[in-house]
Amino acid sequence: MTTLVLSLLALGLALFALRQRRLLWGVVGVGAHSLALAGVYLSLAAPDVALAEAAIGFGLVTFVYLLALRRAGRLVVAATPTYPLLYQEGERVAGLEWEILKKLAQRLHRDLEVLWVPREEIPRLLAAEEADLAAGGFLPAQSETLPLSRPLVPTRLVEVRVRPGPLGAVAGDRAADALPRGGRRFEDEEALLAALARGGLGGALVDLLRFRDWHLRGKLPEVELSQFPEELSFHFAVAPGEEEAILPALEELLDEMERSGALEDLLRRYLG
Amino acid sequence: MRRGAWLATLTLGGLIGWATTGLFPRPPLPPWEAVTSQWGARNAVAAVVLGARLYDTLLEVLVFSMALVGVRWALRPLPQTEGRPPVAESPLLERAADVLLPAIGVFGVYLAASGHLGPGGGFPAGAILGSGLLLLALARGIRALARELPQPLLSRLEYGGLAALIVLGGGSLTLGWRGAWLLVLANLLILAKVSTGAWVVLEHFAAHRGEV
Repeated sequence: MTTLVLSLLALGLALFALRQRRLLWGVVGVGAHSLALAGVYLSLAAPDVALAEAAIGFGLVTFVYLLALRRAGRLVVAATPTYPLLYQEGERVAGLEWEILKKLAQRLHRDLEVLWVPREEIPRLLAAEEADLAAGGFLPAQSETLPLSRPLVPTRLVEVRVRPGPLGAVAGDRAADALPRGGRRFEDEEALLAALARGGLGGALVDLLRFRDWHLRGKLPEVELSQFPEELSFHFAVAPGEEEAILPALEELLDEMERSGALEDLLRRYLG
Repeated sequence: MRRGAWLATLTLGGLIGWATTGLFPRPPLPPWEAVTSQWGARNAVAAVVLGARLYDTLLEVLVFSMALVGVRWALRPLPQTEGRPPVAESPLLERAADVLLPAIGVFGVYLAASGHLGPGGGFPAGAILGSGLLLLALARGIRALARELPQPLLSRLEYGGLAALIVLGGGSLTLGWRGAWLLVLANLLILAKVSTGAWVVLEHFAAHRGEV
């Protein structure tokens, strides 16, 4: 009777392990399955075999999988918060890019993790393989030669004039490339906006999407705008070491979403 | 090289054919109940595995050693990966490793040393000790652990354990050594072999395929 119950439990746990989308739960399932199997052997009066099964199947194998998962099981995204693309809403992360990243992580069987970092840090993190992807309104600067996904959202740079004075931009961003002499670089958007509000700055160079966000939040009441002619777009950037593993899957996903119209839905929902 | 490999394969095949035709003197295998009584073992399994069926066990250990040689040999041409920072781990795991490790070590050695009295033996004990090392590697980072462990002692344990095991097995098979002391010694040697082997495999994969 005990044997039958334990056998059924082992079978059930095996099915549980197979059906998990998250690899970590799969590993936990396999470990529990091994333990139930050890119980079966014990109830069949084979304690030696049970011990070996518990030590190897439950102990050693689970540990080896956990070790492997630690490096391979996470999809780390380095990002700067950018309102409709990738942003934090309380504890939750949301946005257009988040929807795509969630699908990608599911497809690659990895757990998604976002590192919120200043824009300038992103290339270093990708090169050191501390992050796999860059997102959050990523406009590649001219000096950056990272592997990129297809263009996601078209945009342009705009010069936002509040008063006469020097211009500012976020360091590391494409806009910082276009700064004229005497321009000032800031660590992130908030520092730039704070400087604008204090009045030490005459204006900012920024992309249209962030400008729209500032405008909607009422940060810039009266401004004079002039657009740059160059057409740009937001991309995902991939760590050079992960290019082969991630980029084809990402492109395939975007292809499918484009064909099924899901991408268009997302664009309409988040960008209007 | 290729001709040599063919020759070796054919020779091995010939040997197997020769052995299976009955010309090769195979060791007589007496019924196991009669044998276990000579070993002073309360756990019949230990007496069977290390006594009546000692050939099986010795060859198992040899297969394990061959696998280790394979790992070393196959990974050597790969470049050593350097410079990847270890994954930061939560302090919970480090504390757990500190607390659990002594218990795991003692339990592993106990299982091996008492394998002739109850369930246990060198193989599961080695796996348990190996998992303990893995836990430590998870907590500290495998490079740091590899620097702390004395490599010469490890390889001496690994190869010395194998040699001693073969001497012990040879003595038991040819000179008729019997007794519980032999089972205990054999289990402890297998423990040394299996646990150091698990560590060697882990360390080689980590060194050549990336920090874990």
